[in-house]
Amino acid sequence: MEAREELGAAATQTDQPEGRGGKFRLTPRRKRKLIGWLTGVVFALPVILGVLIFSYYPALQALASSFMKDGEFEWFFHYETIFVYDPDTWTVFGNTLLYALVSVPFGLVLGYFLALAANFKIKGISVYRILFYLPVVIPGVASGLLFAHMMARLDSNGVFNMMLHAIGLGELSFFEEASTSMLSLLFMSVWTAGGSMIIWLSAFKNIPSTLYEAAKLDGANAWDCLIHITIPMSTPLIFYNLVTGVIGALQCTTPLVVVGDRFGTAGGGAGNAIYFVSVKILNEFGYTYYEYASALSIVLFAIVGVFTLILFKTSRWVFYGEEK
Amino acid sequence: MENVMDERNRSARRRQIVIRTLQYLLLTVIALILCFPFLLMVLQSVMPESQFQAGQIFPTAFTGLGYVKLFTENNYLTYFLNTLVIVVFNVIAMPLASSFCAYSFARLQWKGKELVFACVLSTLMIPGVVTQIPLFLMFSSWGWTNTPWPLTVPTLFGGGAINIFLFRQFMRGIPMELEEAAKMDGANVFRRWFSITLPLCVPILLFVAVGAFGSSWGDYFQPLFYYTDPEKYTLAVAVYKVTVLDGVAENSVVMAAGVFMSILPALIFFFLQRKLIDGIMVGAVKG
Repeated sequence: MEAREELGAAATQTDQPEGRGGKFRLTPRRKRKLIGWLTGVVFALPVILGVLIFSYYPALQALASSFMKDGEFEWFFHYETIFVYDPDTWTVFGNTLLYALVSVPFGLVLGYFLALAANFKIKGISVYRILFYLPVVIPGVASGLLFAHMMARLDSNGVFNMMLHAIGLGELSFFEEASTSMLSLLFMSVWTAGGSMIIWLSAFKNIPSTLYEAAKLDGANAWDCLIHITIPMSTPLIFYNLVTGVIGALQCTTPLVVVGDRFGTAGGGAGNAIYFVSVKILNEFGYTYYEYASALSIVLFAIVGVFTLILFKTSRWVFYGEEK
Repeated sequence: MENVMDERNRSARRRQIVIRTLQYLLLTVIALILCFPFLLMVLQSVMPESQFQAGQIFPTAFTGLGYVKLFTENNYLTYFLNTLVIVVFNVIAMPLASSFCAYSFARLQWKGKELVFACVLSTLMIPGVVTQIPLFLMFSSWGWTNTPWPLTVPTLFGGGAINIFLFRQFMRGIPMELEEAAKMDGANVFRRWFSITLPLCVPILLFVAVGAFGSSWGDYFQPLFYYTDPEKYTLAVAVYKVTVLDGVAENSVVMAAGVFMSILPALIFFFLQRKLIDGIMVGAVKG
């Protein structure tokens, strides 16, 4: 503990070089400590600078300009516009929250079943794993245009509709109509379930097989094993992926802009049914309402913060195993 | 008695075979469904336009016209080279930068370390859109529009909080003894980072490098901000602008552009999949 105090003294010393000749003398021991501290800081320096310049400074700037109107402080002018006047507000925030809260658990559940299949103990299973994961590596722009193409109407040769037609079923409107747009988006996420499959596979791998053997001896069936072993043992993973997934989905843009641009005005999709906060922010910025866009982004930031907090506060149900 | 046992064995084996077959069947059906879009994209990229107009799903004749037009009528070679500069830079810089900083948090002792690390991790909470606009204004004021700098220089500063986190977790699992031995032999701290620790971080290095590739290869969002000059477009922006926004391109050209964008990520994944899946698992578990 004392050594730490001394280190602190050495640290402050660097800020006040004029004190060197005074009562503080650079003994070899202190010098070593100082060098140790400096080495640590030098190694961390890139990220310290990076965080300050490319994260904190722009974030603070966004915060500051959200309180301004044409460069003058007008405190809550934009926030009032957001919550009282802008008709888009409830649409974009509602859509974003709905998407985040449905798509993330949906993806995890789907990934779970995929992982069950990918965990069969048979020859050539790794080939199937590759095939399951392949759609995940396709860049967002490419998959966006591909799905926009496949989900088009029958008369513009949309493949899904052509297939439905071939087996005598009616046409689906997908992104052409507001009522089916959100579902279509969820439908698209079926193809990226390989991402959470990997997460589940690693969870399975980390559960000691003795647990299952013991359970089997006690007469447990597959369902019991899932409820009492697999899920409880995977809680850290589920938790982590829930946090990052929801936060990621709240900021989602990539396939949406592609899809939205094709089928609706200004990236909102048909009837603004898949109009998301991030897209709205960029639209406002595009219209040069820079300060308004900043205010919107701060609201989004607050929502992300609340979710992070909720998930961390409720993390007591997470089983982290015997702490090392 | 023996007969009964034989009969039992045989029926068990028969059941085994039936289960195996069903498992393969299920896996194949899932694989077909999941790979169908990609397959379709490849097939339609070589499909003659007339067949597409006629409403065919799969081609019965083949043509390379889509690809020819991609490179002759459109400037895809330029876009590709523009993208390559950014991608190569980031693939090298990101793992180096993030492992460098992670080394400080994992191995070096200095006062204030935990606080700084918490500050670094806290940036993960800031949505990209919050910083996007001020960053754009900042980079524009530096005259960085239509240059690759906004997409490359920030990488040098730590290479991303999540990567630092992953490296730090991984490095903590490496036995300390190795480094202490190197220290005894007089290796300085840079050597201990570069020659001792880094070679042991291969799975995570690979994971971060491929992540860097994926994010800079597929990113159309940031380039869309910074590039106004069509000559400077990256591949993703070009695909987005030319094929999606303009919407005039023929189907085979659009599909060829999609294939061209996807083929490199798919190949990288194919060749590195064993190690990558390990890396992803490390990342997932350490969370």
